[in-house]
Amino acid sequence: MNPSVVTSNLAKRFGHKWALAHVDLEVEAGQGLLVVGDNGSGKTTLLRLLAGLLLPTLGKVEIFGAPPQEPGSGARARLGLVGHQGYLYDALSPLETLEFWNRLAGGARSPADLEALLDQAGLAADRNRRVGGFSAGMRKRLSILRLHLEKPDVVLLDEPFSALDEAGRGWLLGTLADLRRGGATLIVASHDPERAAPLCDRAIRMDQGQVIWQGAAFGQGWAAR
Amino acid sequence: MSVLGQALAVARKDLLLGWRGRTRTLAVALFGMVTLVLFSFAVAADGEVGVSAAAGFLIVALLLSSILALEESFRLEAEDRAIEGLLLLPVDPVAIYYGKAVANTLLLVLLGPILLFLTAIFFSLQLDGANLAGLAVLWFLAAAGIAAPGTLYASMTSRLTGRDVILPLLLFPLTLPILMTGVRSFDLILRGDAMSQLKGWILLLTAFDLVYWILCGALFSRTLEE
Repeated sequence: MNPSVVTSNLAKRFGHKWALAHVDLEVEAGQGLLVVGDNGSGKTTLLRLLAGLLLPTLGKVEIFGAPPQEPGSGARARLGLVGHQGYLYDALSPLETLEFWNRLAGGARSPADLEALLDQAGLAADRNRRVGGFSAGMRKRLSILRLHLEKPDVVLLDEPFSALDEAGRGWLLGTLADLRRGGATLIVASHDPERAAPLCDRAIRMDQGQVIWQGAAFGQGWAAR
Repeated sequence: MSVLGQALAVARKDLLLGWRGRTRTLAVALFGMVTLVLFSFAVAADGEVGVSAAAGFLIVALLLSSILALEESFRLEAEDRAIEGLLLLPVDPVAIYYGKAVANTLLLVLLGPILLFLTAIFFSLQLDGANLAGLAVLWFLAAAGIAAPGTLYASMTSRLTGRDVILPLLLFPLTLPILMTGVRSFDLILRGDAMSQLKGWILLLTAFDLVYWILCGALFSRTLEE
């Protein structure tokens, strides 16, 4: 088997508090991992470490064998993260935002493609409005479009369904299902695990920065305390 | 996409944001103008001010205004953690640095005509076609010399509490070579260069610029780490 994400003895301390401790994970390429846990259990810290946005205090993270926190390692180019933040500039329109991301991602998409993406996300009518005036759900839809531009091999999702309406959740589920069919690895941290579980094979439950349970996602064993 | 292409995309985005947020951009210019007005009142009691002092006031006004511009550049990146969004794309941090540094330089260059005009009025400088070209080149070099370390330090301090205080404390000492060479060069342009010293000073200023642009570009990725 070919692991896409590996952590060994991963730990992160903020000040005197250990937000994450002794996390050993191995996620195979194309697998889906559901991460559940209460607020403050370390889910977001784990995903930010996996994305290379935080440096581990102890242990290591590898994405396809490379450390994601090193910009030149190539690991980041294979990662996509949809988090609590949308990474948006309020003064840009959604079309300008996509054009900017597309340029930085290599410019593979044509202007017509970008318009089509906005249409898919239900943002076509607002394509020239500034993002600063958008609702939380519209901002989330726009940030999810990054996944379409990046086509990542590893998709990290932190509360992906928050702020989305029912139609938006359906659209996101379709997007994630497409990515999985394309062979992407999904790691989903969610307070809405019933919705995310069908996309995942395995699940872990976290508490106080540690993995306290792991097993199959479909059996809802993650719900047991 | 090449690093140059990525840097240009970042610079274009920053300039567009600067234009869209022109109230804040205008505030940067106003701050520089007010600084010059205060200098002019502060020295009025002593009578005539030398060209060197006027040149010093001009560069200090640029330096003080630059703090606002540099902070704004990274405030926009901190909002909604947009900078993390850039890092999650296959972008070289060097491209982010040079894109932002170029945009900051251009913004500071745009302050030149306004501040130079005011300095000429307040301190009775004689500006003509011959020295304006030299002053334009010098202004560009001074702006670039401030923007290069300023972009690095603004990134470094952008996530700190008290960054408004820390940024100038870090930046001002590092810009002393720019201040000194800039003032000396201005003086020589405006008062005449009888001993042909100007070329040497300009070369020295250019050398400081090159060192800052190369060194800060190499160090920038370290400022993005947590």
